[in-house]
Amino acid sequence: MSSDQDHLKETDTEARFEFKKEESSAFQTEKGLDEETIRLISEDKDEPEWMFERRKRALKQFQKMPMPTDWPGQPDLSEVDLNEIIPYIRPDIETRGGAENWEDLPEEIQDTFDKLGIPEAEKNALSGVGAQYESEIVYQNMQERWEDKGVIFCDMDKAVQEHEEIVKEHFMTKCVPPSDNKFAALHGAIWSGGSFVYIPEDTTVNMPVQAYFRMNSEGMGQFEHTLIIAEENSEVHYIEGCSAPKYSAFNLHSGGVEVFVGDNAHVQYSTVQNWSKNTYNLNTKRAIVEEEGTMEWVSGSMGSKATMLYPSTILKGRGATDNHITIAMAGEGQNIDTGAKVYHNAPDTKSTIESKSISKDGGRTNYRGLVHIADGAENSSTSVEFDALMFDNESTSDTMPYMEIQESKVDVAHEATVGKIGDEDVFYLQSRGLDDDDAKQMIVAGFIEPITEELPIEYAVELNRLIELEMEGSLG
Amino acid sequence: MSTQVHANLTREQVQEISAGLDEPEWLTETRLSALDALSELDMPDVIRTPGRDWTNLHALDFESLVDPLHAAEEKDRVSDEGVEVLEWSEALAKHEDLVREHFTSVVDAEENYLTALSTALFSAGTVIYVPEGVDAEDVKIRTRMNSRSLFMRVRITEKSSSVTILERQSTGDTEVDDARYYSGIVEVAAGENSYVQYGSLQNLDEETYHYSLKRGYADTYATVDWIEGNVGSRLTKSSVETYLQGDSSETKTVGAFFGHEDQHFDVSARVWHEGEHTTADLVTRGVLDDHARSVYEGVQDVGADAWDTSSYQRENTLMLSDDSEADASPKLIINNHETEASHSATVGQVDAQDLFYMMSRGVDPERAKNMLVEGFFVPVLEEVDVEELRDDLEELVAARLRE
Repeated sequence: MSSDQDHLKETDTEARFEFKKEESSAFQTEKGLDEETIRLISEDKDEPEWMFERRKRALKQFQKMPMPTDWPGQPDLSEVDLNEIIPYIRPDIETRGGAENWEDLPEEIQDTFDKLGIPEAEKNALSGVGAQYESEIVYQNMQERWEDKGVIFCDMDKAVQEHEEIVKEHFMTKCVPPSDNKFAALHGAIWSGGSFVYIPEDTTVNMPVQAYFRMNSEGMGQFEHTLIIAEENSEVHYIEGCSAPKYSAFNLHSGGVEVFVGDNAHVQYSTVQNWSKNTYNLNTKRAIVEEEGTMEWVSGSMGSKATMLYPSTILKGRGATDNHITIAMAGEGQNIDTGAKVYHNAPDTKSTIESKSISKDGGRTNYRGLVHIADGAENSSTSVEFDALMFDNESTSDTMPYMEIQESKVDVAHEATVGKIGDEDVFYLQSRGLDDDDAKQMIVAGFIEPITEELPIEYAVELNRLIELEMEGSLG
Repeated sequence: MSTQVHANLTREQVQEISAGLDEPEWLTETRLSALDALSELDMPDVIRTPGRDWTNLHALDFESLVDPLHAAEEKDRVSDEGVEVLEWSEALAKHEDLVREHFTSVVDAEENYLTALSTALFSAGTVIYVPEGVDAEDVKIRTRMNSRSLFMRVRITEKSSSVTILERQSTGDTEVDDARYYSGIVEVAAGENSYVQYGSLQNLDEETYHYSLKRGYADTYATVDWIEGNVGSRLTKSSVETYLQGDSSETKTVGAFFGHEDQHFDVSARVWHEGEHTTADLVTRGVLDDHARSVYEGVQDVGADAWDTSSYQRENTLMLSDDSEADASPKLIINNHETEASHSATVGQVDAQDLFYMMSRGVDPERAKNMLVEGFFVPVLEEVDVEELRDDLEELVAARLRE
């Protein structure tokens, strides 16, 4: 392991996520949500009229739709009172749309991202970085060579101004309309910040771009929007990281992600989510994949009090491929409800879903997934694999897959297993001189390896550290 | 749900059915209470995904299918030595206390709209009582439905004994215009150290809507095995459920279906592991042709106190036509970590290579396909250790393939 990664190992991970900063802002809305709130946000961003109109429509939809309450085993959302949330906090910075130098940021924001290791990672492993603090992107930078090739990686608010036509066409229209679910509607009404990524034809961005989302204030909601457009024969890997310090009041994160994968393009979207355990993480993420394109979702859900997240892919073009790899870990008081949705709408499409979960100390993990193969999607194949590891008897693990097969010339396979950590495996490792905790940690590290393999080494190390942290002292 | 109670369903009719069977007052009251509850009750749960109901029961007006005072059936009841297989009024006359103690103790009369409808109107009831120490292999109930609607209930109670029951439903020759409705509720209470095997083969005509709920409670060391074959009916909503309440209890559920034309099968196999050291094995195979549609739900629920559970589930569907649809949702609900649980589900078509191989051996394509379909059912048939039922199921599959 190189010294670059050693610094990550040595850092006290807990201290890195748990610190709080004084709350200071240039502008923040009152708690609650009405048309006035939306007007204030839209005005503060100096948005075009059509965006304000879309926000208003989404708000109406949000007000009409009921809270999801009747899904079996779903997280309890009764605490999520949207009148108690502060939807918009603009941090107190001089440059709107993201500074290009960390030095230009106020010291406490700089310090926040330093502690999170973002500038360090930028130097070593990334093509570009965006960092969001509260409701807006505060730092955004990409290596010049990508800019020269026409790659765009910018703050979503800035994209509304500078790439208006393309945003107008793609923003919550054909991929994630606000009517999709209550929290997508909420997102459509009060979204702020996030990234816009555009990769031109025949361009391969060979190092990942990353956006990091940090909530600092108590009782706030973060609603960033990510729009990725990968044109024909292009390739990009986008990494999203999230964290927040813990407060007694609840925080809400309700992001929206839309990915357009062009013919023969390849997009990987990786998330390592480590929200504090008072955060409700209710996201909508979806990709539309054209002919021979490939979409890969890699998700690690460690934090939050409750997560409801089912990244979905619409395989629209012939020969399109989708791969999902998800890992969820739920400890005390957590309900991590995740899964994957795939719609095979064209012939020769392929999907694989590999999902792993770990539950311990009374935590609950749910897998909820849907595979739909439409009539006419000949020679499509799908394979779903789910494994759950349970550490103790207070924990729960549910698997709820749904398969809708309307085409006969298909190959559909689903498999799931649930079990406890193997006594024999632990015994074997102990006989080789490891203590009980180390043995279990090693088994868990092996269990999640398919996920860590998909991430750049910095993030794999990070993920392992997070899991070790989660497990410390909790095993016996 | 706010289903309007149909004008042709009245308290008087329910009282008339009850009086016709010489029922005691408590039972009449249970029926009337179920009738009154109809407007409050929901249909049995169906699976929903965004924008789709996998089975739409609300589109059906069950009450218009009902002709409460004209239920008619031919029933043969074959009993084995030592077992009491009693027709409803006979059971009430002989063992009223026993019936009163157990009736609706496994399936609540007002569990859902269809169980309540069934409780209010059932006319054909059977009680099977297997006394302690009796081993019986040959209990059969054959029902031929000769009327517009028919509601039956079967009730089995026993302790330290074993029994195999075969039930067959078909439609009689009596001409009935229009759609029909058949509803069957089976309650099994398998006492300590007992064995109940309940095999059912449904071959109703394709104008008949069919609702069936079979539920068993297994006490310590008890085994409840189910065999569930569905070939007939227009629409079937069927659930086979076992509660493994006692320590070391077991269940095996074997299901088979073969749908063609416009048939719709919504079948579920469910098990709740509640005691310790319990074992469940759920195996279902189905074939779909033409526009047929299947919905399968499997549930393996392991409770927090169900230490040392083993639970397995397999479901395989073969699609013979592009116009058919197979939906499946195999669920695992695990609350105890000393559990070994797995499930798998597949959907596919007849293997092209197998077909090619057989054709290369001179078998014509139609016959080759039929042989492969018959072969597909073999793993399920092998699990059926009642020869008579296995033969019948094989024959029904073969007959369907000859059509």
